[in-house]
Amino acid sequence: MAEPTLLEQLRSNEKAFEETGNLFGLQSLPRKEKDPGTYEAVWHILSNVCNLAWEVGCKVSSSPIAVEGGDALWALHLPTGEAICVSRGITAHPGLLAAMIRNFIELGYEEYPGFNQGDIFENNDPHYGGIHSPDFDMAMPIFYEDKLVAWASCVSHVSDSGSVTPGSVGFLNPDCFSDGICISMEKVGENDAFYPWYEKRVRSRTRTPDFVMGDARGRLAGCVALRERVHAVIDKYGLDFFVDATKEYVEDSRRYAVSRVRTQCVPGRIRKSQFKDLAMKGQHVILNKQDVDCLFNLPMEVEIDADAGVRFSLRGASGTVPFGENISPTALKSGLLNGYSHIIGFDMFNSGPEASWEVETAPAGSWANPFEVDYTASSGVAWAPAVMWMSNLYEVFGRLFQMRGFVEEMAAGAATTMTAEFAGVTQLGYYLAGLTLEQASNGSPARGFTDGENSAWCIYTPNADFGNAEVTELYYPIMYLGRNIEPDSGGYGRFRGGLGHTAVWMVYGTPSGIEYQCGCAGMRSKIVSNHGMYGAYPTWPDAPSYAHDTNVQELIEAQKPLIHERGPATKPTIETNIEAADLQANPSAPFLTRELLQNYDIIVHPISGAQAMGDPLERDPESVVEDLNKGWTSPRVASEIHGVQTTMNGEYVVDSVATKQRRSEIREERKARAVPFKEWWDAERQKVAAKENMADAVCAMWRSSMQLSPEYGAELRSFWDLPDDFEF
Amino acid sequence: MAEFHKADVEKLIDGVLPWPAVQDMMKSAKDTDRFDKYIEILQERVPWDEQILLPLTPSLFIIARHGARVVKCRCGHEFGDYRVNWKLSALIHVRDDEESLSKVYKGREMPDPTWVQVREYICPGCGAQLEVEAVPRGCPPDFDFLPDLDTFYREWLGRPLPDTAQFKDLTPDLVAEWRA
Repeated sequence: MAEPTLLEQLRSNEKAFEETGNLFGLQSLPRKEKDPGTYEAVWHILSNVCNLAWEVGCKVSSSPIAVEGGDALWALHLPTGEAICVSRGITAHPGLLAAMIRNFIELGYEEYPGFNQGDIFENNDPHYGGIHSPDFDMAMPIFYEDKLVAWASCVSHVSDSGSVTPGSVGFLNPDCFSDGICISMEKVGENDAFYPWYEKRVRSRTRTPDFVMGDARGRLAGCVALRERVHAVIDKYGLDFFVDATKEYVEDSRRYAVSRVRTQCVPGRIRKSQFKDLAMKGQHVILNKQDVDCLFNLPMEVEIDADAGVRFSLRGASGTVPFGENISPTALKSGLLNGYSHIIGFDMFNSGPEASWEVETAPAGSWANPFEVDYTASSGVAWAPAVMWMSNLYEVFGRLFQMRGFVEEMAAGAATTMTAEFAGVTQLGYYLAGLTLEQASNGSPARGFTDGENSAWCIYTPNADFGNAEVTELYYPIMYLGRNIEPDSGGYGRFRGGLGHTAVWMVYGTPSGIEYQCGCAGMRSKIVSNHGMYGAYPTWPDAPSYAHDTNVQELIEAQKPLIHERGPATKPTIETNIEAADLQANPSAPFLTRELLQNYDIIVHPISGAQAMGDPLERDPESVVEDLNKGWTSPRVASEIHGVQTTMNGEYVVDSVATKQRRSEIREERKARAVPFKEWWDAERQKVAAKENMADAVCAMWRSSMQLSPEYGAELRSFWDLPDDFEF
Repeated sequence: MAEFHKADVEKLIDGVLPWPAVQDMMKSAKDTDRFDKYIEILQERVPWDEQILLPLTPSLFIIARHGARVVKCRCGHEFGDYRVNWKLSALIHVRDDEESLSKVYKGREMPDPTWVQVREYICPGCGAQLEVEAVPRGCPPDFDFLPDLDTFYREWLGRPLPDTAQFKDLTPDLVAEWRA
């Protein structure tokens, strides 16, 4: 009997899942049950094979963020695409890679151009499920004795994607035609080598082709290494075992995710509002249509049913934006898998948990499902709204874990993600455009039992790593004047979020000047994040600074104080210590500098902390004082927000009696200034109806949310008692 | 398999369980009676006697009383039926201008009040700050969680509650009363 085609296997798998509720119809896990030791051992071997591919691939790559920060990922897949196990690295991608392989099968590529050992397939096109152009997704079939038994895959984030602005965070891209080089579900090589025309396209359409091709070779090297090691595993354990066990790993992971929900959560309905701004009116933009402020509505509704099935809805998501911040549904689901892997399905991270939840198709024409309505929407940095939406997941499940008593699993909302990219001629005389790694190391969310960790966490990779300053200085014409923990950047609560850090750079050694793009991969400048669980105040907006045409060279020669930190919120050091023809102490971010920054110009680039948890008056006074003595909080916040009163004895010491008294007073002050909700509602709905003090971006957001999701609009109108035909 | 005692869970809640023990708790198989231990601890800590059915937040609980299921604060203040968003029965303080926002956020930390308002939900009984929302004007308050309590007790814990309540969001009914 002929071996079924991959497409036939896909259909058969779907039917089996529908009939049994188990992936591949696996109502039991015979390999696991018969020999759990070998089953577990081979899982770890395959995981380490993926990690080996990551080590090899990153070292072969060229871009700073791959080589220095490991911003890439390799994975092993079933013949039908499901991820079996993945390497460390950017775990937001296994879902995308799995969907890409499945898409190759669905598109009939098995018949033409066919799948053969050594073939290289790639995609970076959001219209076919890619996330954004700099993330190159690659897959190579793995044959064993003429049978396709698996796929090796990889994603790496290249330094420059050839988009309208240099670098790889294309938030300013006005449409998909400005997104840069496009690899649309293509076979780009065979016999373990790229086609010559692939390299010619890279050289023609990216600004840093040596780096981009270096990254391509890194992806290839990792996939080949992965393939060779898989062959060795099959040689040792047998093909039958490999075929059976790899399917069981995926089903096992699905079962784990379902089990965790059932044993550690509570059925019901969870709602979490979330917003993100993109304030671009009056800024340096590409097309006139971009002279506009935008606010994204990023709502998450989760329903957990009696069978522990989880259903996500984005009802109310706002419309597309004329910037590179729209995301395809496929990519958003992959992001969700990443978040899920942090929170629910992390025992064996693979495609299994995807079968334990459903994502309602986001409203057509929204940022989360753009192409049906706006085919030309850009996805230059599609992660930007997605990571903020994913942040909801932490709070949603944190609340559920709290209810069941699993306090050790709780987490508050994530940090925001502001990027820094430079483009120009380096001190070594060549042109480079690309990211620093600063943003890959945020503060981590507050936990249910302790503070988050400082500068040690990143939402899209479990391997938070901001790289070595000295190595970054080798790549880019900048010098670190400071890199330090940012006080009070983790919100205010019983447990604070991990603090972020601030990099202070001086431009140095460039013969041409450099562009500084303070980019948005999920940041806010006008609003605070709306996380902050259980009464904690959210973190502040992201606020960078820069100074152009400065007196820094004179300061250095005169050995006068420079700038090594941001300084107080009301008295930034850049204003007190630096003179400049163009000093932007608090520009609205994100932005691309209008002029090239020159040597001795200054950039102050903060990376956010994460969200806090609990009433700030319940923070242990000793923790507040510890932060004070480390310089991690200010006396104002200690006294006015946490109510902690202190005395000085060489260092801050808690005054317990005065603290108790002050906290009691603050609670009474809260009650005195607050009003019953209905009283506020009566007044507020008049203001809502009159659109009083509402920015245009807010009204535009509500307008599109209500148009795209009529049910959501009806609920909003009903709550505020607005007429049925009311529009913002 | 590691075994976790009620005292360990108490220390965990209080944030004083040593980090190695917390890690052990994270890595080990979960204790199947955690919910019961948790409820027992919480019940001992509140100054009232009604049975806690579900802790909604560290401060708020759904309790059972005479066939009703009510949201109740640690301090004893009650917020009404758990199927109505408790925020509508709380005190609220909204920071929607620079002066009020500046009490929390200074200088460059200040958000734009035409884009966002910070809503503080306060317990009328004890003055605890129960939740903070940061949302643009026009956003209804999040009904953070509406539990399907009967399914939870009947099918997940295997011990049905003595009475039942329809799994339905009753918040719109209250708002309709206000409108009338």
